[in-house]
Amino acid sequence: MNYFKIWLAGARYSMVRTLMFRGDFITWSLVEFLWMGVNLLLVSVIYQHTPSIAGWNQYEMVMLVGTSMLIQRLVMGFFWTNLFELGRNVRSGAFDFFLAQPGHPLFMASTRKLDPDGLLNSFVALGVVIFAAHKLNLHPSLIDMISYGFIIIAALAIHYSILVLTMALSFWLTSTSGIEGTYFALTEFSRLPKGAFHGIARLVFVWVLPLVVVSNTPADILLHGLKLSWALGLFALAVVWVCVAIYVFNRGLKRYSSASS
Amino acid sequence: MIRSITKYKQAFILGLQSNIVYRWTFLARGAFSLLHLVAAFILWGAIFSVKSSVGGFNLEQTITYFVTLIILQFFIGAFNEDYQISEEIRNGLINQFLLKPINYYLYRFSVFIAARLVSGSLVLIPLLLISPWIKNYLVVPHELWRIAYALPAMALAAIIQFTIAYCFGMLTFWFLDIQGFVILSFAVETALGGQTFPLDLMPKAIYNVAQYLPFYYQMYFPAAIITGRIGTSAIPQGFLVQAVWAILLLVIAQLLWIRGLKRHTAVGG
Repeated sequence: MNYFKIWLAGARYSMVRTLMFRGDFITWSLVEFLWMGVNLLLVSVIYQHTPSIAGWNQYEMVMLVGTSMLIQRLVMGFFWTNLFELGRNVRSGAFDFFLAQPGHPLFMASTRKLDPDGLLNSFVALGVVIFAAHKLNLHPSLIDMISYGFIIIAALAIHYSILVLTMALSFWLTSTSGIEGTYFALTEFSRLPKGAFHGIARLVFVWVLPLVVVSNTPADILLHGLKLSWALGLFALAVVWVCVAIYVFNRGLKRYSSASS
Repeated sequence: MIRSITKYKQAFILGLQSNIVYRWTFLARGAFSLLHLVAAFILWGAIFSVKSSVGGFNLEQTITYFVTLIILQFFIGAFNEDYQISEEIRNGLINQFLLKPINYYLYRFSVFIAARLVSGSLVLIPLLLISPWIKNYLVVPHELWRIAYALPAMALAAIIQFTIAYCFGMLTFWFLDIQGFVILSFAVETALGGQTFPLDLMPKAIYNVAQYLPFYYQMYFPAAIITGRIGTSAIPQGFLVQAVWAILLLVIAQLLWIRGLKRHTAVGG
């Protein structure tokens, strides 16, 4: 409850800040909107030349890309700015500020700000998923839709953990500038169907780094119905990833020596 | 004239030295680009598993296109020149150039060429490391005239890339933060510059419009010449439009510099 109140205070501060810098909000909303357009344009152009990719037709692919975008917009909205700043703060010593706050440093550092532009565009991504479902004439049951929502939360947790693990490197390395690019490069794989991966690529990008599974599984629920074993497996995976992220972050925290003179 | 060249030669040498310091960053960036290449391999591999040709090109030709793009990006692409210029304006570092007989555009362009020489050479290392795996997928046309055309196309593309970044940097005279504009433009460049798919795969009408936009000439035009995606008949018109965009952007850059300086306040002492 205490954590929820802290989060709410941060959310309120972010909203006030957005209202102060309305121009920034509009620009960034447009930026994210355009990036989603780029991804959909790729799908649209490719399907001019082929009827299916790894067994997925055009609107199934739109569903997958929409789901992947939904997860990424939620990451952007809730966590991105905070975790991006985490690396810089550790380097500059500004991370001290979070140590003095009334909560676990990872929670405090991850939830300080919200990005309403990312959250706004998550509705656009959801619109893309609904549009694809309409085009495919899908009628998912209530259970399927609720499962989809829960799996998106599990996916969000896995993405968050990967981002924390990436940015926690700043506790060990002197400069992690540009390392956030790794996360964006990896998310490119989450927009691809699982069936397209073979051999070592399947092992690395589907199983070791579950970015492909976390976007494919929810899309699969809407397309083909809930497979309980997959859903539970993904939840278990999310728990493991979050635990690993917290463990590594705590280990890194012990190395933190501030940077004050 | 010779004194003038010496001036910018010094800036070029300085650029070389300062960018060699960031060799690990460029190498890491090169490695990230390989992830993009792996994603392209997986996507296009799946597409070509059921088709032998897409838009008249096979899998090898398509992969060659994406490898060429990566090399070009590190040799002629603007990386963070817009932010560097923006920082120099915001921090007042450009004041020193106002007092010296140095053209700021030419100074920054000399540093840009040096930076791309370093980053371009460094990206070849990860590509060489993975060459045993990708060499069977690389098919470059053997016509020598393509190289003769590609070099000036690359030079003009570098001018367009840098000048667009320079113009974004100039916006700092009016706006505190240019990041939104840069990423907004980056999204358009990614789609209409051919970075996510070869532009000739777009519907004919859109492709025809794209040929008149500057983004087409930032990367796609030289890449298409090298990889054989455009023939001799389309090249002269391409050069003409590319040259017009280069001149137009140079004029805009100069105008932004003149108008921006009128707003600029140099403080210090």
